[in-house]
Amino acid sequence: MKTHKKVKITLQNVTKIFGKNAERVVALDGVNLEIYDNKFTTIVGPSGCGKSTLLYLLAGFEKPTSGGILKDGKLIENPGPDRGFVFQDFALFPWRTVLGNVMFGLISNGYDKKQAKKIAMDYINLANLNGFEHAYPHTLSGGMKQRVSIARALAYDPEVLLMDEPFGSLDAQTRKYMQEELVKIWEKFHKTVVFVTHSVIEAVYLSDIIVVMSARPGKVKAVFDVKIPRPRNYTGEQYLKVRKEVLDYLEEEVQKEIEMNNT
Amino acid sequence: MGDGEDLKSLQAKNKVSEIGQFIAPFLVFGLFWEIMVRSGIANVQTLPAPSMILHELYVLIGKKGVLQCHIYHSFYRLALGYVLAVVAGITIGTVLALQKDLRDMFSPVLSLLISVPTIAWIPVLLITMGLGDKTVITAVFLGGVFEITYSTIAGIRSVHQQQINAARIMGVRGLGLFFKVLLPGSLVSIMPALRLSIGYCWRALVGGEMLSAMIKWGVGKMIYDARFWNDVKVMLVGLIVIAFFGVLLDRIMLKRLEHETVEKWGMLVER
Repeated sequence: MKTHKKVKITLQNVTKIFGKNAERVVALDGVNLEIYDNKFTTIVGPSGCGKSTLLYLLAGFEKPTSGGILKDGKLIENPGPDRGFVFQDFALFPWRTVLGNVMFGLISNGYDKKQAKKIAMDYINLANLNGFEHAYPHTLSGGMKQRVSIARALAYDPEVLLMDEPFGSLDAQTRKYMQEELVKIWEKFHKTVVFVTHSVIEAVYLSDIIVVMSARPGKVKAVFDVKIPRPRNYTGEQYLKVRKEVLDYLEEEVQKEIEMNNT
Repeated sequence: MGDGEDLKSLQAKNKVSEIGQFIAPFLVFGLFWEIMVRSGIANVQTLPAPSMILHELYVLIGKKGVLQCHIYHSFYRLALGYVLAVVAGITIGTVLALQKDLRDMFSPVLSLLISVPTIAWIPVLLITMGLGDKTVITAVFLGGVFEITYSTIAGIRSVHQQQINAARIMGVRGLGLFFKVLLPGSLVSIMPALRLSIGYCWRALVGGEMLSAMIKWGVGKMIYDARFWNDVKVMLVGLIVIAFFGVLLDRIMLKRLEHETVEKWGMLVER
């Protein structure tokens, strides 16, 4: 594993405002952040802290109101295949089979059908979906759908993988299983990942770096380096210590969010 | 004998009983009708018996060989008008779905147009397009285009933003985005419109053929011309042909297409 830290993405004073005048919502307010190459970075924060907005800006689905986001020194302005995205609600194409979904990014990036199919099958196997390549998404369970979605995002080998609460809609059992699978897959590739969740348990289990965001307007409150070796143990001493540390920070923010909603 | 064979023979049996169930009411009704005519209760001149209609069908197909020609001409007009309506409807619908300003401008017009029965257009078309094929094909086109446009707008707008985003981050944009995401994603709304509008087109076709003086062939024309000879048999043969192909187009062709697409993809359940 690489020990030096190379900056992959830089957020410079990023502000995002939705709506106008009275309906103006400041989602992000002057966010400065560095995301390192080949690291698993997780963003946690109370609901409404703009963590998903941040991810959408990284993806290029939305543009910052002010400030800039640089990837390898170049401004991110549009979505593009140098990044992959895993959505909370999967966003699979129901008119394509599992194989068709995973091949999608490959075909649209110039691979011929034969190559694309071969690579897609590798990722389908990696996601433990062998035997389901010809199934349509609506026949799969939530966990399986999300594995297709991850395989689809990884197959065309993007430099950065963006994951927006990918396990948020899964039941607790499946969620735990998916976390373990994701760590296994990540250990293979060491791809730069930006993962958004509101679960600290998940964040500490998965990440190299945890970014805690403050309640509205969203700002970076703290950044933690997590140096626990993988695979991690949910009840390990180190794990619990980091978890408590992060939770203490987060609790303050959750409290603020609740107070804000009450007034 | 394996279970697979059992299942197959069971399915075949079901199919047979399904067809039987479909035909039975016609048999009962036909028999009743036949008796009414033969016993003299109904007038043979105004209401010929089913057996006479079937005989006429045989004469028109076999001896004279004209029915095929009528059907051929009708289908040619239907196909041309319908395909034009589908292409134009989906294109216009997509543009209106994506351009809010245009949509705001044209959607009141569209909702007016969609409520005009197509046959009301025909006198106008007879003047602007002449008394021939052009008028009939345009009538067929108008019969379907508004419904398809309307449903395309609804369909494209109902495509999940996340699916569009997923395609965009994988590097798909422009026409690729239309063919790979917007179109398949909106089929759930477009497919029922395709089924509905082929029925509208079929009706417009028959009306158009009846009213266009310069055309000689077509099922609608055959029915209309039969009134010169007071030949109710030919008219009824025409009605049967129209009903038969109407069902055939919907059930055999489009329903199957729907089954092979949005139904197979589980998109109907999702709604």
